[in-house]
Amino acid sequence: MSEYASPEEYNLADLLCCAASREVRNNEIVFAGTGLPMVAIMLGQKTHAPNLKLIFEAGTLDGRPPELPTSVGDARCETGASRSSGLNDAFSIAQRGLVDLGYLGGAEIDKYGNVNTTCIGNYLEPDLRLTGSGGNPDINSFSKRTVFIMVHEKRRFVENVSYITSPGWRVKKWPGGEWVHRRELYGSAYQGGPSAVISTAGVFRFDEHDGHMYLDTYHPGKTVEEVKSLCQFDLDVSRVKGETAPPTREELRIIHEVLDPDEIFIPKNKPKA
Amino acid sequence: MGNSKRITMQAAAELVKNGSSLTFSGFTIWRRPIAFVFELIRQKKTGIHLIEVNGGPQTEFLVGAGCVDVWESCWVGHELYGKYGANLSRKVGTKEIIVEDYSHAEMMFRFSAAASGAPYAVTQTSLGTDIHNPEYDMLGRAGRRDGKRVAKKKYIFAEDPFFDAGQVVLIPAVKVDVAVLCVQQVGEEGTVRVGGQYYSDPEACRAADVTIVVAEEIVPEEYLRRNADQNTIPSFEVDYIVECPYGAHPTGMFGRYDVDGAFLKDFYANTRTQEGFDAFAKEWVFGLDHIAYLEKLGWARMLKLRANTALNYSPRR
Repeated sequence: MSEYASPEEYNLADLLCCAASREVRNNEIVFAGTGLPMVAIMLGQKTHAPNLKLIFEAGTLDGRPPELPTSVGDARCETGASRSSGLNDAFSIAQRGLVDLGYLGGAEIDKYGNVNTTCIGNYLEPDLRLTGSGGNPDINSFSKRTVFIMVHEKRRFVENVSYITSPGWRVKKWPGGEWVHRRELYGSAYQGGPSAVISTAGVFRFDEHDGHMYLDTYHPGKTVEEVKSLCQFDLDVSRVKGETAPPTREELRIIHEVLDPDEIFIPKNKPKA
Repeated sequence: MGNSKRITMQAAAELVKNGSSLTFSGFTIWRRPIAFVFELIRQKKTGIHLIEVNGGPQTEFLVGAGCVDVWESCWVGHELYGKYGANLSRKVGTKEIIVEDYSHAEMMFRFSAAASGAPYAVTQTSLGTDIHNPEYDMLGRAGRRDGKRVAKKKYIFAEDPFFDAGQVVLIPAVKVDVAVLCVQQVGEEGTVRVGGQYYSDPEACRAADVTIVVAEEIVPEEYLRRNADQNTIPSFEVDYIVECPYGAHPTGMFGRYDVDGAFLKDFYANTRTQEGFDAFAKEWVFGLDHIAYLEKLGWARMLKLRANTALNYSPRR
């Protein structure tokens, strides 16, 4: 492990990318979304998890793209892949329970890890319609662990999300809508749930029994109180371990020289004038 | 057999009647039949019920042009070139369109069910989410669930009767009138060879009553039959074929050309309003045919997008 970079050598995107890459373990099957998660997973592949297997939602299985794909449908995904197929394969593999880890994002999240990517405001009269679910709920339903990467704003870390697009640890039992632990709904498909949220303020984890989010580490330059004040719900800060580990110089080199030299997803750190 | 399936783009678009249910090949910003979609807009289609495993620029073009009444899917946007579907979003706000949300896997499995002749699919995905909120059955609210082309219910919960796996959700097979696929090669008799990820194309094709294939090139059927193991869709599942090079632009095509990100970025930035969309359509759709569209884009732009045939994409350096 090379030495940690000092604060002026990296930016927030670097920090998030490195924190995200540290969530993946060697030999895992990982479902990759577009963007920063893709860089994070490939960073893991080039550091501590060389034998991880990458699945792209559009149908590439065990892909080894030499040039960063701009989306999972990209022709670049399947270079060096074990198999190139389609969505029915990708989602069947997920439902079969073969996926260890998925990386996802969202516009809003609640204390149970329920995530919204569908609309802001009342679904029937929305203030803003967003992209919709995509594979977010599917990957989150079936993976053993999922990691959410999010912009941290108080309007995004909310008591109740506008629309539960993707299931957290406590979800709604329909038709009544009572809150229940996801274990009670998913039956034989239950394998786990959200394991981390990596926001622009800190790293959060979940108590799998009561389903509540807690602060694990705060990013360099932030304080516990500051992070707590950025959540509408009462954030559990009783288990804070300290600061998020910064990127190492080697990780920064891999991100900017090998994986994303064209700054498609991760801008290079611009020294302040 | 000969060339009996070959028709013009205009004739192909005329096969889609007002009120038809429609689906497309591809994935988000890849292999979408955009030239065909532009012809639908020129023909001023209305009342389209668009059913897609996932949406993309093709959705935004059709929705912006006012062709679509109902959109059943899970996602729309332009990936990193535009974070959501601004035209769909606007028309949801003004209630000019009904959106029925399913999850991505649910949409895929609904097409798989239709493609195998099953009335519905069974899954355990997305339990506990608002996708299954009974208040949010939008086609039901609109009184559109006739049990004929639109299922009587959005979904039904059941308990696994065989192995006690717990709760499952039953989701109806899609009913699609026309599928339009945009691919690299089709034979004169309709055999399709897709290069790269085939996304949900085989299921979309088999699910639909009529399939139109728009290909970069129509090749001798005999050429494709020399290596049948490399083919994606059998001849008899395809009803009509259209030859249209660069027919997916500005979306990408594995082995042929990359996504035109600048085009999508401009589209996303300039079509937040209806006036913006109308100006876009006036400039790029109306008054042009496909050749005039390509001429307007120009050689320099198209050559930059052209894929390296060894790599299957256009390398950045």
